[in-house]
Amino acid sequence: MRSYWTKRVLGAAAVLLLVIAANFFLFRIMPGDVVSTIVDPRFSPEAKERMREVFGLDLPLGRQFVIYVRRMLTFDFGISFLSQRPVWDELKSRVPNTVALLGSALVLSSALGTWLGVKAARKRGGFTEKVVLLSGSVSFSFPSFFVQLVLLLLFAYTFPLFPLRGSVSIPLPEAGAARVLDYLWHLLLPAGSLVLLGFGSWAIYVRNLMVKTLGEDFILMARAKGLPDGRVLWNHAFRSALPPVLTLFLLALPGIVSGAVLTETVFSLHGVGKYLLDSIMGHDYPAAGAAFYILGLLTIASNLAADAAYALADPRIRVGGRVQS
Amino acid sequence: MIPRRFLSLILFLGLILQGAAARADFDVSTVKGPHIKDLYMVIYRDPDSQMLALQKGELDVLGDIARPSDVDRLASNQEVSLSISRGFHLFFMGFNLRKEPWNDRALRQAAAMAVPSRQIVRDIFSGYSEPVDTYLPPVSPYYEPDVTVHEHDPAKARQTLAEAGWKWSTEGTLIPPDGDRPLKAVKLLSPTAQVAPTTAEISNRIAEALKSIGIPLSVEPLDFSSMISRLDRHDFDLFVMAWSLSRDPDSLFAFFHSSMDVPGGYNIQGLHDPELDKVLEELRWAPDEEAAGEAARKAQRMLSDISPWIPIYSRYMVAAVRNEWEGVVSTRSTSADNLWTLLNMRPLQGGERPVLWCLSEEPRSLNPLGTSSAYDWQVLALVYEGLIAVDPETLGDIPWLATDWKVETVDGGGGPHTRLTFALREGVRWQDGLPFTSRDVRKTLEFLKEHEIPRYYDNVRDIERIDTPDDHTVIVTMGNVSYWHLHNIGGSPVFPAHLLESIKDWETWQPARETHPSEKGLTNLVGTGPFVFMEYRPGEFVHLVRNEDFWLLGGD
Repeated sequence: MRSYWTKRVLGAAAVLLLVIAANFFLFRIMPGDVVSTIVDPRFSPEAKERMREVFGLDLPLGRQFVIYVRRMLTFDFGISFLSQRPVWDELKSRVPNTVALLGSALVLSSALGTWLGVKAARKRGGFTEKVVLLSGSVSFSFPSFFVQLVLLLLFAYTFPLFPLRGSVSIPLPEAGAARVLDYLWHLLLPAGSLVLLGFGSWAIYVRNLMVKTLGEDFILMARAKGLPDGRVLWNHAFRSALPPVLTLFLLALPGIVSGAVLTETVFSLHGVGKYLLDSIMGHDYPAAGAAFYILGLLTIASNLAADAAYALADPRIRVGGRVQS
Repeated sequence: MIPRRFLSLILFLGLILQGAAARADFDVSTVKGPHIKDLYMVIYRDPDSQMLALQKGELDVLGDIARPSDVDRLASNQEVSLSISRGFHLFFMGFNLRKEPWNDRALRQAAAMAVPSRQIVRDIFSGYSEPVDTYLPPVSPYYEPDVTVHEHDPAKARQTLAEAGWKWSTEGTLIPPDGDRPLKAVKLLSPTAQVAPTTAEISNRIAEALKSIGIPLSVEPLDFSSMISRLDRHDFDLFVMAWSLSRDPDSLFAFFHSSMDVPGGYNIQGLHDPELDKVLEELRWAPDEEAAGEAARKAQRMLSDISPWIPIYSRYMVAAVRNEWEGVVSTRSTSADNLWTLLNMRPLQGGERPVLWCLSEEPRSLNPLGTSSAYDWQVLALVYEGLIAVDPETLGDIPWLATDWKVETVDGGGGPHTRLTFALREGVRWQDGLPFTSRDVRKTLEFLKEHEIPRYYDNVRDIERIDTPDDHTVIVTMGNVSYWHLHNIGGSPVFPAHLLESIKDWETWQPARETHPSEKGLTNLVGTGPFVFMEYRPGEFVHLVRNEDFWLLGGD
């Protein structure tokens, strides 16, 4: 058991080093740099060269790599080329909004989707199953920005129940409960749109798992023993289907930090997604490198958490090669 | 039934006439403001959200409206007034003159005749852009209309080529005069349709037009970085690009002088023409405005013959303001989203209410020394001011922090020099209460030069000496002669000397986040301008309030 976890942690460390190296080299093999994207006749070639010196882009690549690795390992991500602010400060100002939006959307859509998926599997051909299949197809078929723009038009413009933009009102409400309520009011429409777009795929996934599980012999055995229907469904079938659902949920967790570019743009939210996109497009190496490094760390941590969660979710599974049945 | 594109054209002409009537009685010298107390620059990134917010009244002013459909929609909205002005924008197709066959002038001129620029602009922009034939936008005070125009005429294009010795293969592909093989397939570098749909469409139309005279051309869509990288490496045949320019025509030097054909330079097409170089040097180092204007016009005439680009169009700038406001300032060359509007506007019904102004991107750093973001400068330009300003109607120089100035060419060691003498306005105070003096101007220029700050590098690098004989006079002697030194020095923002001295690292200076050392409620973002910076809430808004000590404030 201990050797299994030692191997997993060592493997994760190796992946992390690869992520660090890839972050550095992938951005540098992209054509151009942050200075070359300045196309303005008021910036002479000499002024642009001076800018390269300011950003340290005139240093040899090896030297830049050493500085970069040291920064990543000490979590000192340096100064953003574009904003000239510490990258940490930039991320800190964006992560709460993104986590609140995508975290709430993930929890709600997965919970709703799972519940509907189980209900759909329980009664094949019923109303719930039809709803699940239809909502899954619809959410896959429509581009998210279109759905969100329609929702914005309907519920923020035609029927102005929600604000058009942002996470606070202008001018700001008084601090305290009024500001918290104001924040939640701003969050409702974007988060709701993501739940609407996301629950269908969860529901279809869980439904398919449950349909397969409900056809297994041990379910027949449970029913033959006269166990109540609800107990068979939730304690036997769902518990058996839970590990892959849990894995999917845990692997989706890093996504709540990486942001949602289109949602942030449509609802004018200050989040990580747009920042990440702007950093990549603007060749802002410190910002993009740090953001991908943190995402890499979260993905690795989520993978390890998923392994651990398997064992908790299903006592038959024991990591390290021994399986009890 | 009138076709839609003509409806747009009629609508546009109506707006221009309406705007001309509205601005007939506008006089810069009558402006005394600002009258508004609170200004929120609200961040809306999505154009659809911007439109909804304007129509719903959650925005008062929206600038840079680029989609013709949005202009049409707003034009029929009774609650909103539109303003349209010519913009300092120029879109063109360039050739790589370093390589064959593009070094052949006859081929370039024939290509210009083959491209139906006017038709393309009419089809794509429905009247909201104007076709151009020269190398400065029509709004420029130095625009030269009397140039060789390569009118759309495919038959004449073929005739020009035939006269220059070009032949056609049996498949219709051009064969160079001194060769016997048809031209190889070539590419036109263009941004992708996802990023710039109209540009991509124009590129396709250009490619079709050039194919029709035998140039085997296709479009190569690229992301912006890849395209710039290819252009920097000179790895291209043809490219499309747009420049956002200023009122000064010395950009012609940057685009076409042979010394600018260097890495990071803007002579992308690689034009080397000694005759033109001479004229561009006359422009760059002109001792006065008259000489500069003459050189700029001559350069445009020469360029229209050389044809290193095919100029295509210049975009109109469209802005919308809700009708609850009066005093909006728009001219033929400045749309309503400008400083003058902010100085002059007030609620139609009287009383006080904040102005909600759209900022279509996040400010980056609000560091006036380091940022090159236009969105940062939308905010910073309300706080910091220069010695001279630009008249929104004539685009001429008008007094600002300097009430008067003199441009002289004087003899000194090593040849003639431009000497600029500014008489500073008296009674101006920094927003933290200290008086504005010649020391602030000197310290600012010295700071910018000493630290070689990229944004101001070209403005101040030729400064040789700065004298401040008294608190209200600044004399700046440059190391060479150029009329443009006046705009470079006079147009640079002035920073308070007492705060400049406390800056440890200009690159990471965050004045908007630093508490002012002595004035409660202020940050270190302190200027002499009409608005005082109060708060930047990332992703949401920038809040500014009226500077109650502003020198132009006349009271209501």
